[in-house]
Amino acid sequence: MDEPLIRARALTKTFRRPDKGPGLAGSARHLITRKYTEHHAIDGIDLDVAAGEAVAYVGRNGAGKSTTVKLLTGILVPSSGEVRVAGVVPHQDRIANARNIGVVFGQRTQLWWDLPVRETFTLLRDMYRIPPERYRATLARLTEVLDLGPLLPVTGRKLSLGQRMRADLAAALLHEPPIVYLDEPTIGLDIEVKDRVREFLRDLVANGTTVLLTTHDLGDIEDVCRRIVIVDGGRIIHDGPLAAVRDELARERSMHVQPAVPVDLAAIRAALPGTEVSGEPGEFSIRFDRFAYSAGQVAAAVMGLAEIRDFRIDEPGIEDVVRRVYEGGLVESPTGAPA
Amino acid sequence: MPSVAMRPYLAIARISWRSALAYRIPFVLSLCMMVFNLLAMLSLWRVLLASGHPLAGFTWPEMRAYLLVSFVTGCLVSSFTDFTMAFRIQSGLVALDLTQPVHYQRARFAQCLGMTVLESATAAVVCGAALAAFGAIPVPALPQLALFLVSLVAVVPLKFLIVYSSGLLCFWTHNYLGVSFARAAVSAVLSGALVPLVFFPGWLRILAEVLPFQGIASTPALIYLGQASGWDAVRLIGIQLLWIAVLWAGASAAWNAALRRLTIHGG
Repeated sequence: MDEPLIRARALTKTFRRPDKGPGLAGSARHLITRKYTEHHAIDGIDLDVAAGEAVAYVGRNGAGKSTTVKLLTGILVPSSGEVRVAGVVPHQDRIANARNIGVVFGQRTQLWWDLPVRETFTLLRDMYRIPPERYRATLARLTEVLDLGPLLPVTGRKLSLGQRMRADLAAALLHEPPIVYLDEPTIGLDIEVKDRVREFLRDLVANGTTVLLTTHDLGDIEDVCRRIVIVDGGRIIHDGPLAAVRDELARERSMHVQPAVPVDLAAIRAALPGTEVSGEPGEFSIRFDRFAYSAGQVAAAVMGLAEIRDFRIDEPGIEDVVRRVYEGGLVESPTGAPA
Repeated sequence: MPSVAMRPYLAIARISWRSALAYRIPFVLSLCMMVFNLLAMLSLWRVLLASGHPLAGFTWPEMRAYLLVSFVTGCLVSSFTDFTMAFRIQSGLVALDLTQPVHYQRARFAQCLGMTVLESATAAVVCGAALAAFGAIPVPALPQLALFLVSLVAVVPLKFLIVYSSGLLCFWTHNYLGVSFARAAVSAVLSGALVPLVFFPGWLRILAEVLPFQGIASTPALIYLGQASGWDAVRLIGIQLLWIAVLWAGASAAWNAALRRLTIHGG
């Protein structure tokens, strides 16, 4: 009845890494006495995703995001634990699972390198046995939203990264899957293309598709996902509404300032109580809580003391958020996980 | 009218030969290498058999026929299949193959069949040229010709399975080039493609006859020549089919085992 569409219980994936000593001697010894280190890429993940939900799955590089997606899509076989997606165990019934899902990997393409994009789409039409009228309608819709018209006759290898991503999104959605996994879909894209992809994903979610999006870029998930799951060291360290994370954990901003002439940092500290000022008189950074100060207020306070030659503002990165999760005591630090 | 279940695989076969056309230069180069090989073997055996005395039952026209048949089987199922497979496994692109609604092994076989269309066509052209240059070869009577055609068709799945199985070793070795060269060398000798098995010393001949390789060159060539006829030919075809069944099941099991140890690093 109410079983979630995606359900993982105590999901674990352990890789064995060969433990070789240094140099030729180490390699030779490894041939005789094989030693391995166990590496828990995913260490007991529990995750429920309801139909129609859009979940952001974020974490630092190596946190286990991609491995989780590969377990949910049936690419990898879990070392232990259970996983069910739309009633199917993905790695046991790959073909049934494949029909339910669409997958986009930001760093890999499913386009045929030497053939026009259109040929890849035709292959997918036959592979998923999409009825011709259905295929024509879906392709027409995707061509319009993703502006694929000029790309269809071009071979995969000649596409730019942004064009490739648009074509790959269409390729993953031709069979209109109810579940879509996106693994770092905006990696390496420029701002304009990123925005376009985000807008497309928003529409996808609005139309009822269940989306799981992994990223290490918090900007990706704004407006697309309501719920955020943060992973670190192969475990889920936070799971809740995105708004809360944004307000509680990602409220810190940093303004980096280069004044025209060196200024007294103590004066700036006095002008902006509650902020953290670090650096040199000739180039410094101000960390502030965006609920206590607006960026404009901070800039105005500095300009009252010195002429600004250049400045920029950093949004908090995923590193900051993960650190804040541990600091904020929202969860206990996972034991044994490398910090 | 192809069944609905076949539709994905037919599409894969079609796109496979379409994309092969995009690799014209490597295709032509490897064809040149094989033609050079064929010419070298023909010239060598012409000298050996120049006296007119048959060697181990082979006259010069028979040897020509033997070499041409083994050239044709050599053209079928190029190492394109295993190299693309190895590349996708090592680069992690295999992840995308695993999210498609097709059986991996059947899909690779379909891909290989698509290539075979192209390979058969080129083999036929080269054979025609060789016949014109080196003289005609004996053509067997109809029942024998039928047996030959069956054994020739059986070469495709058998050779595919040998190539595919060695491609699967990628999951364990991480460097495929060595595996591929080793397989090519072993298979060139033990299939009888270089030298007919009758010339082998006893122990090597026994080894060649228990292994599957003879089925990809020696078997169709001997049947074509009539050196294996009647029940003898049927027995050899039976061995081909047996190996196809064994290797198909074995490769499926190996694939499932390989997936348990699949590691894909990075996004």
